[in-house]
Amino acid sequence: MKLKIDAMKYLRLLALFVIPLLLLSCNKDKNNPGYDYMGYQDMYYTKFYKAYSPNSVFSDSITNQLPADGAIARGTMPFPLPAGNIGERAASQMQSGAVILNPTTPDEESLAKGKELYGVFCSSCHGAQGKGDGHLYTSKLFPAKPTSLVEAYVQNKKDGEIYFVITKGSISGLMGPHGSQITPDERWMIINYIRTLAQ
Amino acid sequence: MIINGFVPKKPFALKGFLTTGALSLLLFFSYTTFGQSAEAEKNFAVCKACHTIGGGKLVGPDLKGVTEKYDEEWLIKFIQNSTQLIESGDAQAIKVFEEFNKIPMPPNALSDEQVKDLLLYIANDGKVSGSAETAVVETEAVEDVNESAEQLLAELKRDDARNMQTTFVVLLILLLISVFDLVVIRLIKAKWIHIIIILISVVVMGEILFVEAAALGRQQYYQPEQPVWFSHKVHAGQNKIDCKYCHFTADKSMHAGIPPVQVCLNCHNQVREGKITGTEEIAKIHQAVADNKPIEWIKVHNLPDHVYFNHAQHVNAGKVDCNDCHGEVEKMDEIIQVEDLSMGWCVECHRTTEVQFASNKFYEQYLSTHEKLKNGELDKVTVQTMGGDECQKCHY
Repeated sequence: MKLKIDAMKYLRLLALFVIPLLLLSCNKDKNNPGYDYMGYQDMYYTKFYKAYSPNSVFSDSITNQLPADGAIARGTMPFPLPAGNIGERAASQMQSGAVILNPTTPDEESLAKGKELYGVFCSSCHGAQGKGDGHLYTSKLFPAKPTSLVEAYVQNKKDGEIYFVITKGSISGLMGPHGSQITPDERWMIINYIRTLAQ
Repeated sequence: MIINGFVPKKPFALKGFLTTGALSLLLFFSYTTFGQSAEAEKNFAVCKACHTIGGGKLVGPDLKGVTEKYDEEWLIKFIQNSTQLIESGDAQAIKVFEEFNKIPMPPNALSDEQVKDLLLYIANDGKVSGSAETAVVETEAVEDVNESAEQLLAELKRDDARNMQTTFVVLLILLLISVFDLVVIRLIKAKWIHIIIILISVVVMGEILFVEAAALGRQQYYQPEQPVWFSHKVHAGQNKIDCKYCHFTADKSMHAGIPPVQVCLNCHNQVREGKITGTEEIAKIHQAVADNKPIEWIKVHNLPDHVYFNHAQHVNAGKVDCNDCHGEVEKMDEIIQVEDLSMGWCVECHRTTEVQFASNKFYEQYLSTHEKLKNGELDKVTVQTMGGDECQKCHY
């Protein structure tokens, strides 16, 4: 009899060991990336700021700060025309044909690159052949019909005007500005490629 | 890393409900409205870029009441080719052209009948009948979304020995009990039972400890909850948007880049309602734009800071496909880290991937290797041959 009571006692002690272990195993926090060895002792996580890490120095907590207003990067020129609202965009687009000139001459290599870039940035809406029948429109995901790039309306425009639309978006605002995504060189390659689409 | 929760999230449960709900709503409205053919609505999609019906002036004039203001014949001509009409010296056309900042209205390849239908649609304030057909098309698209994300998750789950921790705890309990019994309580007389249990548990626990210790600091199958329920399956899979449309610095920078909210707006300026989450999640983007605050996405694929990894090098020179490292992103609603991103995994690829000399300018600088390949000194060139195995390439 005495033996049995002892056994119960030990089992209880055992339970005291085991229950915390079971609790430890309930790691329900999905956003916890897990454990690491000496992570914060300069092993896994070092102290320097990374491009996307929060930053205590700046008031907006962003490490990847924008350049100061009016700063111009070496070797580049600021965009010459204003494009704040619809009115400005309309006026600037009219002007851009004369103001912005295509600095590139298309060759085989740049056209191939232009085709690749067109596939990445344009074909979703304007279609692989530029007919305005991209997948986003034909599958009814995007409500407005994209402009056909092969018809006279676009093909009659000067290169600078198309450059303006890629950089700052269309007048209506249905096509958003792609200037942040596509570098100036790449934009000219795309324009040269669009010219070949109509042929 | 030990175990992260691995539960598919609420939208899966919501989806079915939303699908049926949206469908019945669509059907309901399609039978209560009236007006012109569905074709007019489709054609008006082009006009919507610059015009509203009763929604105020955009680029072009508000079209409410336009059919009463001008006669039909003139409108047909203007809609078909406004520039031609202006150049022919039509006073009314020139007046409209000048009133709206001299922005020409693009020509439309529509027949007279189609334009008349369109004008009726406008006169009717943009209402239409016969949208039952459109409703069917939209449901098909919705059902498309439901396919196979769960499957993928389940497969990953099965492959990974995710029950290891439970096994470990059970074995530990068994071990403790048998040790207690052996030393203190002595309920079971046959000592070989204890010894077998202890031996098995020690061996298996040892293995689990080894595997988990090796995975320490690695984050395989990490699937954090993001601040916006953004689905790569919808955007990259169903919508077929190229990875580099949003991650546009992948071939220029060491970071693939998280797109700024302005990139989202390229489409979501117009698309305000999603098929899975409705307006709730897309509204967060517009809120972020209004507040001028970036969305704090959570990074899924983390490397320790003592490793240098450059996306541009792998995408440009290496021509590595995004999916090779990130898994089938176009099938994932929420991104999960498929590969373990261990050093062994990196080095494995560097040793086995053969360098593609043809049509890749980057490797023209490795002339000596080229020569050796020609002479037959080397039968293949891997990244390792190029020095992809040197410590300082990634650790410095």
